[in-house]
Amino acid sequence: MKTLLNGIFLILPLISATSAQAMDWLKETPSLVELVEAGKLPSIDDRIPDDVQVAQLRLDQAPGEHGGQLRLLMGKQKDIRQIVIYGYARLVGYTPELELKADILKRVEVFENRVFTLHLRKGHKWSDGHPFTSEDFRYYWEDVANNPELSKGGPNKLLIVDGELPEVEFPDKHTVRYSWSNPNPYFMPALAGARPLYIYKPAHYLRQFHARYQSEEAIARQIEEFAKRNWMGVHVNYDRPYKATNPDLPTLQPWVNTTYPPSERFIFKRNPYYHRVDPNGRQLPYIDSIAINIASSKLVPAKTGADESDLQARYLRMDNYTFLKSASKRNNYDVRLWQAAKGAHIALYPNLNTNDKVYRELMRDLRFRRALSHAIHRHEINQVVYFGLVQESNNTVLEEGPLYRPEYQNNWIEYDLKHANQLLDELGLAERDDRGVRLLPDGRSLEILIQTAGESTEQTDVLELIHDSWLQAGIKLYSIPSTREVFRNRIFSGDAMMSIWSGIENAIPTAENSPGELAPTSKYQYQWPQWGLYYESSGKSGEAPELTAAQELVHLNDQWARASTHEQRELIWHQILEIHRDQMFTIGIVNHVPHPVVVSNYLHNVPEKGFYDISPGAYFGIYKPDTFWFDEARR
Amino acid sequence: MLGYILRRILTMIPTLVVISMLVFVIIQLPPGDYLESHIAELQSHGESVDEQKIQFLREQYGLDKPLVHQYWYWVTGMLQADFGYSFEYELPVSEVVGDRLFLTVIISIATILFTWIIAFPIGIYSATHQYSWGDYGLSTLGFLGLATPNFLLALVMLYFANVYFGTSIGGLMDSEYIDAPWSIDKMISILEHLWIPVIVIGTSGTAGMIRRLRANLLDELQKQYVVTGRAKGLPPGKLLVKYPLRVALNFFVADIGTLLPTVISGAEIVAVVMSLPTTGPILLSALQSQDMYLAGSFLMFLALLTVFGVLVSDIALALLDPRIRLGGGASK
Repeated sequence: MKTLLNGIFLILPLISATSAQAMDWLKETPSLVELVEAGKLPSIDDRIPDDVQVAQLRLDQAPGEHGGQLRLLMGKQKDIRQIVIYGYARLVGYTPELELKADILKRVEVFENRVFTLHLRKGHKWSDGHPFTSEDFRYYWEDVANNPELSKGGPNKLLIVDGELPEVEFPDKHTVRYSWSNPNPYFMPALAGARPLYIYKPAHYLRQFHARYQSEEAIARQIEEFAKRNWMGVHVNYDRPYKATNPDLPTLQPWVNTTYPPSERFIFKRNPYYHRVDPNGRQLPYIDSIAINIASSKLVPAKTGADESDLQARYLRMDNYTFLKSASKRNNYDVRLWQAAKGAHIALYPNLNTNDKVYRELMRDLRFRRALSHAIHRHEINQVVYFGLVQESNNTVLEEGPLYRPEYQNNWIEYDLKHANQLLDELGLAERDDRGVRLLPDGRSLEILIQTAGESTEQTDVLELIHDSWLQAGIKLYSIPSTREVFRNRIFSGDAMMSIWSGIENAIPTAENSPGELAPTSKYQYQWPQWGLYYESSGKSGEAPELTAAQELVHLNDQWARASTHEQRELIWHQILEIHRDQMFTIGIVNHVPHPVVVSNYLHNVPEKGFYDISPGAYFGIYKPDTFWFDEARR
Repeated sequence: MLGYILRRILTMIPTLVVISMLVFVIIQLPPGDYLESHIAELQSHGESVDEQKIQFLREQYGLDKPLVHQYWYWVTGMLQADFGYSFEYELPVSEVVGDRLFLTVIISIATILFTWIIAFPIGIYSATHQYSWGDYGLSTLGFLGLATPNFLLALVMLYFANVYFGTSIGGLMDSEYIDAPWSIDKMISILEHLWIPVIVIGTSGTAGMIRRLRANLLDELQKQYVVTGRAKGLPPGKLLVKYPLRVALNFFVADIGTLLPTVISGAEIVAVVMSLPTTGPILLSALQSQDMYLAGSFLMFLALLTVFGVLVSDIALALLDPRIRLGGGASK
């Protein structure tokens, strides 16, 4: 029994608590001194939790100073949610090494991946100073997730395992327990997501909008005042922690929005009750405020080059690099090249659910997909479009991740027209028309229409090069640009034969990340939308996967969710990747595309190299922007 | 006269009803609705989408209701000055547009004044000095303005203004003045930025106006009463201004009809390129994301101004030029 417990009782590492240490090592934040002295704000030891989290700085980081304003550029008002992503204060969060660690929580006890006991920090407070306790979790569970009006379909489906809801308990003010009878491997990653699952809500604030806590007249008055259809509309409108549009909504993030939309400029101010301090006793974040200017996204590179942003990566692209670099001589910033964590920067998606029967059979034939891949001259594409800076690869995991194996990346990607032609001849496509284009069994020419979302000329440039090499294999390619919505609808409906898009989102997964993206589980997977829809709707709509390899992927994905050990999950991951290596359901072209990140010379602690992607990195989030600081003296 | 105005106003009603239907149907023509384009946008950035939340929003926004129902809701709302709700901004339409209206009007009026100040003297000069070097030179300049693509000119000027004057790129003021209360510094910052869009938007309008003024004036200057006046020794200034110029200005009054809506909408493309805080970019992005009440209400507002502007210019024309009769056929 004892050994069994040892094996399955996993306590996530916690960052040392300081309750034992004396409180006099804490230093008051200069910008808050005035407020504290005027009695408008409690002093620092009353603001931070009793067991405060001491930030562990990385080797390339140095402890800094308070102050300064970080200027950012965003393309739309809605983009202010990026601050919630960058801030990345989560119940549990990823480290740059992609381990899960308790962050807002003091610690998490995980039992068999099915019982999760969350321990809150004593004395932790919301940004308005109200205590953050298990009541906030209860409010979410009882009054939001299980309120039949507010959540019609019940709690979020990540909280449901085999149709079973968790048992949620609140033993005391600082403890919350979620337990299922089967493992729920989706729970912790969901809490750590760039767009997290919020299982806590500021109850003291939101109660004023909730029908259960307010009189009918008060609710009716609010509906009238805010011009909503019902009280749920009012509640949802004020409860948008991710969008950060409501400055009155208390938060636990390092910076709090202070600007009511609509505006062209949003100011986020430091959260005086934030739960992290640096090793020298300074409360984080170092940076006092963030100013976001909204500018047309096409102007963002130009404005960045004119030194109007201190930390910019959004809306910059590889082809802005030379401009940014040359302008950096005039202005005080540094251009770094980070990397996208996508499996492929560009990938072709043969639609296995396309309506045309002849093409559908072809797409589903493994030999055809391999022939298509062999007939792409990836090296040429790399040299012509990307200055030879990227990696020619399949759409698969990257070598920086723990699950990488060279064969996943290299299989079937060499430019081999002879083999491609041979495979196509074997398929019974040996006849050709007078242009040299192969003929289908029913006499039509083999013409593949590739849908593009019409967003970047880069994709059409690549398609132009593929067109030339495919033609030598007797395949005629046409690209059809449209808009993003039309593009997707054509794929769902099966009108699209093939499409071009980026590859898997999180290509540096660990075995603990869900492999769902690699199996037919969602209708947004462009290679098998109908099969994905079938899984998503539990068989109510869509079509059941017909290829054995696809069925196997669904099966493995389900097995992964039930697996109880890390080794099992790793094994399943490799089985899945092996199927993808062999089957080429998507045809990756290149990956490892650098992403320019512009960093002001006065801004410290921003890593030289990193991954720039929302999943799993939350863009800058896992590098902890609350530890970035300005050298005000030099500025 | 009064009867005429009344009749015109009455015919406006069916016109506006038809416009409202057209606007609504055209906005709805692209496949999907706002929420679908919203999902597509989130996913293109790799963000997760909560289907339940989407379903909830669809009900809250009334997007699950039939088209006719949505139309009725929108039109009846507008009659009570409720312009609907912007999904994109999650705010009532009036709040979204309201803020930007003022700056849009500033830019538009500045541009119109710029156009007039440049176009009038040049137009008059080239008409009175037809086929002279000055006429050719200025006309060439005008045509250049007309032919240069606005957005290109905008980008070039932004670049030079930034490199030589240190003006921040795009926008209408330095960022620290946005949302700040009005002050002298803020005004100066606006003036610093204002001249670029004014010149860019103004150049093409200027060229058009020069041509029209020149043509109209030339027609008039050939007339016999002018020749007679000149023969009788009238001073050239009076000869020009007393009648020919006034008559030549008819087109100018007729322009009011189209001028009114442009004052509100601003020049969309230039505003997008230069990232101006005007209403143009809002309208464009609302149309792209199918934010239907925002786009619809805005277009309706423009339609209303157009219809109204045409009426005003018709009445003004009748008052200014006794040769023009109201209600044409009836008076015969």
